[in-house]
Amino acid sequence: MPNPDSNQAGLSFLVGADQVHVMVLKTQDLAQRNSIIDTVLKLSSLRNSYQTVYLAAPRLLGATIDASIFRAHGIGLLFFDERRIDEAVAPQPLQPTRPPVIPAPAQDPALVSELATLKSMYFEMERNLTQLRDDLKHLHQAPRNEGFAPQPSHPPLGGGPHEPVFAPNIVQGGPLPSYFSNNPWLEVLSKRGRLENEPLAG
Amino acid sequence: MSSDNYRSHYTFAMDFGTSDFKYGPITLGEKPRIVNNRGYFPDKSSVMYKAFEPTSDVIVGDDVPLYLQSAEDLSSRLIYPMRNGMIDKSDDQAWRVVSSLTSYSLDAFKPESNNGFRGYYVVASLSSVSPRYMYERLLGTFQENNHGKIRAVTVIPQPFAVAIGHGVTTCVVIESGHGNSQVCPISKYPIRAAQVALNRGGGDANAITSEILKDTGYGDLANEEAVVRKVKENIGLVPGNLDNAIADAKKFPRKARARYRVPGTRVEVDLEKDSWSRFLIGEYVFNPNHEIFDSYFSRGMPRPKDVKMGDTVFRGMLDFGEAIIASVERCPVELQPMLYREVLLSGGNFSWTVPPKLEESAVDAPTKVRLLLRDRGIKNVSVKMTSSPQFSVWHGCIIYGFAVPEDYEWDWQRLEGWMKVSN
Repeated sequence: MPNPDSNQAGLSFLVGADQVHVMVLKTQDLAQRNSIIDTVLKLSSLRNSYQTVYLAAPRLLGATIDASIFRAHGIGLLFFDERRIDEAVAPQPLQPTRPPVIPAPAQDPALVSELATLKSMYFEMERNLTQLRDDLKHLHQAPRNEGFAPQPSHPPLGGGPHEPVFAPNIVQGGPLPSYFSNNPWLEVLSKRGRLENEPLAG
Repeated sequence: MSSDNYRSHYTFAMDFGTSDFKYGPITLGEKPRIVNNRGYFPDKSSVMYKAFEPTSDVIVGDDVPLYLQSAEDLSSRLIYPMRNGMIDKSDDQAWRVVSSLTSYSLDAFKPESNNGFRGYYVVASLSSVSPRYMYERLLGTFQENNHGKIRAVTVIPQPFAVAIGHGVTTCVVIESGHGNSQVCPISKYPIRAAQVALNRGGGDANAITSEILKDTGYGDLANEEAVVRKVKENIGLVPGNLDNAIADAKKFPRKARARYRVPGTRVEVDLEKDSWSRFLIGEYVFNPNHEIFDSYFSRGMPRPKDVKMGDTVFRGMLDFGEAIIASVERCPVELQPMLYREVLLSGGNFSWTVPPKLEESAVDAPTKVRLLLRDRGIKNVSVKMTSSPQFSVWHGCIIYGFAVPEDYEWDWQRLEGWMKVSN
């Protein structure tokens, strides 16, 4: 039957009295780094809503994942290709549960005070870390007599008045890779086109 | 924002090797992503093609195994474009594979939209013997596949990238792969006029290994390329002096015994009293001129010939010592001692080991090259393997892309500089 919840991807079935949900990973999803983790996490969140949940994935994925993880979390695993569909891991059926009602504990004044202290220490640490990061950035950008820090060799790029915001997978202000360290080519290459009278050995 | 800050995030390198394509931005750090340098042209009538409807006619990267069909079709549909480091001018299929790989690699690292990204600075590397038309086609490919992904592009020779990645500005780089080898002097620039190419590589070591297997009763294995390669890698040795190594191995056959079991099988190669022949495998790569190889040539093993590919003559029988000397002596006399002091070996064909108890007979590749040069009167020589044989080309491309000023424009005489890509 179609999934009544239009916000949830996947397929829902009714098998007897049991509700079963299947989320399908397509081949193009495998190329996207977070799609597998995202799908598995969504499935885990549905454990309390459905008796049985499955992940259906291309057979290619079988070589790269450990099926015991799915077994440990009660999630069924199906592999498919153009010829057949196989159940690699059987799911563990579960009754949907209501979240337990936990009575609010009585507030302990000493605990509250300690939490407030920890909170202010945390903010202080965060300020210090920001300051250290800025100092390190200035240190990298400062001219040096030796070492691998590159010299700015030309004016900044024109256009675009705003600072770019880098993608989450880029560590802003991080160090350059190790093969940059003490590499004389950085200076040699930065002068390309600058010393026109330099004799070429070639 | 300064250009250095921008390029510390958006420099991108592509190393087109004979087997592997290594790619990725500077932010990957030490190790690039790697896929096979190949593409598959699927049969569009197949169920798999219709079910998954790929948007491209050429499949590249990790998806290739999903689309492979019958074994009979592989030779015509599965294309390795750079098996010998070069692509024929009219080989449209191979160029389409290259085009697909460039798009595939850039699409794998698409920055978030509206973050100020203005295109990557892309540095691609080609074999040092690539003729001018390969530069023209490759740069044209980048222009066609841009769509806002590329700000500027350049192409540099692989030995030049090796020297940059290794951090040595004056040196001789010797690159040796499956099909051929190149000797390339570098002095802040590649000295193209002094390059020497050899029509000999790892494939020739496979050929002599195959002959040895036939002679020692393993003719059935001699025709299986994958087995022959494994046997070469596991029992082949490079002798310091071939005559002495053979004499010692015949005198002490148990010490030199060559034995290899193919994993997962009961197949075992044991050369027993003929284990001395393991030294022929390594010797043949470095110096095929020893008279012992004449008997193999007379029995039909192809003698490496001089061939012309593109603009370059590949020498067949020149040994590595003579090749280095010939190359260095084409350079200014003042430069020559400095070049001999830094000889870098790069490529899988130099991965030779020395087993325990055979240290007196067997040597590694740097030692062999040093001995070949010493025998020809060149003494003050330093020969080393590159620090990161698998990734040094990619590292060198990243450094080049980061450091070269963006206003250093592409020059067709020099074959260097940035080619701006229109957005």
